[in-house]
Amino acid sequence: MAPSPPLWRRLYDTAERAVAPRLETLVRTKHFARGTALATQAQATARAQVAALSARAWHLVNLPTGTDVARLRVQIGALDREVRRLALRLEQEQAHTGERPEGKESDGTDTRPP
Amino acid sequence: MVPILDLHSVLERVRRDVERNALRARNGIRLATGARPGIGCTPKDVVWRRGRTELWHYCNDDVRVTPPLLIVFSLISRSYILDLSPGNSFVERLLRSGFDVWLLDWGVPDERDAQNRLEDYVDAYLPAGITRILELTGRDEVNLLGYCFGGDLALLHAAHHPGSPLRSLTVMATPVDFRYLGPLADVFGVGGLDVADVLDADGNVPPQVVLQGFRTLKPTSQVTRYVDLWERLWNDEYVAAYQAMTAWSDDHVPFPGAAAEETVRMLVRDNGFVTDRLTVGGDRVHLADVRCPFLTVLAKRDHIVPEAAAAPVIELVGAPDKHELRLDAGHIGLVVGKTAARTTLPTIIDFLQRRSEVSA
Repeated sequence: MAPSPPLWRRLYDTAERAVAPRLETLVRTKHFARGTALATQAQATARAQVAALSARAWHLVNLPTGTDVARLRVQIGALDREVRRLALRLEQEQAHTGERPEGKESDGTDTRPP
Repeated sequence: MVPILDLHSVLERVRRDVERNALRARNGIRLATGARPGIGCTPKDVVWRRGRTELWHYCNDDVRVTPPLLIVFSLISRSYILDLSPGNSFVERLLRSGFDVWLLDWGVPDERDAQNRLEDYVDAYLPAGITRILELTGRDEVNLLGYCFGGDLALLHAAHHPGSPLRSLTVMATPVDFRYLGPLADVFGVGGLDVADVLDADGNVPPQVVLQGFRTLKPTSQVTRYVDLWERLWNDEYVAAYQAMTAWSDDHVPFPGAAAEETVRMLVRDNGFVTDRLTVGGDRVHLADVRCPFLTVLAKRDHIVPEAAAAPVIELVGAPDKHELRLDAGHIGLVVGKTAARTTLPTIIDFLQRRSEVSA
């Protein structure tokens, strides 16, 4: 027979059993969902305003901001995705027509086993 | 006699407590110094790569089951949960049963993946992975298995490409009725939060948002896990399992922004799987078009994908040969631990073997 858990553990379990179901019910309510959404939107708005202020300051001295760089990276990322999609489509076409695809990444990584 | 017995039991208890505290101190130092058990140790080769996506082939010198088995994992967490630790690994068990196991790992998305939509995974990466497997094995079909959101991707693929060379489709802990998914979906559905409000500078939903969403599901779990750890810190086996599990459960990856936006719009707000309002790559898609042999595995104690969120899939797919397995397990317990070893894995293996060729 397993020894009974220590007193501190039994106290914690009692408290947890009382609190956990109430909290779990609370986080599944519509009010909680709406409250979390509002709080997140408020945070996002505040972040955007701080970023806009800081961007104005950097732009005054003709310097790009982190947001500008991030935007550029996302735009380059979108191009990268298009290239990947085209490469995948080409690979599929080659597979269907029986041609051997090259199997090389744009960075030259050969993923084919020897 | 009674006082002597009491003295013995007190001494025994003191001795045990001293021993355990010494072990606690040792394991505590191990935890604090970050020494971690090996995870994802099963040998594998990367046989194909596009962007962050890789196709892994697990090494197996004793393949007895054909066709090959392709596993598709979720977009928001790391796939090593399927190969957690030696002796507690879903992949290892499949290999031992003679399967030829392949896994499509989505990697860690960055700004180059922010515009990835669901169709990228369903119509491009998944078919490319299947084609590569067929090329390398010389077979003409695969068994496809999707775990969690990977199951949704597999379902969308099978529905959008009825001609895809699938011998069978298995989905595990896969949500289809997003009304019952809980706070993580409610905040976007009922709460009306826009994905744009949680996007990071790289255009993806940051892993912290996903992690926070999961933690909200069981608000006391963070405290309880430390209480459990303190109580059993003396137990090496428990500490190793704790380290592996917490490393995984805290280790999420960014969710590509465009795919997240599409998920919220089509799967959460429109509840597309259930209401038959699915669109992939501009085409209407219907789960009724999934006609290959189908197995769904769901967990009765799953707090991430509750039973009610996963259960309707069996009615929605059009496969004449379809089966459902409900297990008394949690979300992770389906693939890790005793329930997985005792029930889930043997049942999945049996299902797949019945739809495969098994050589002696």
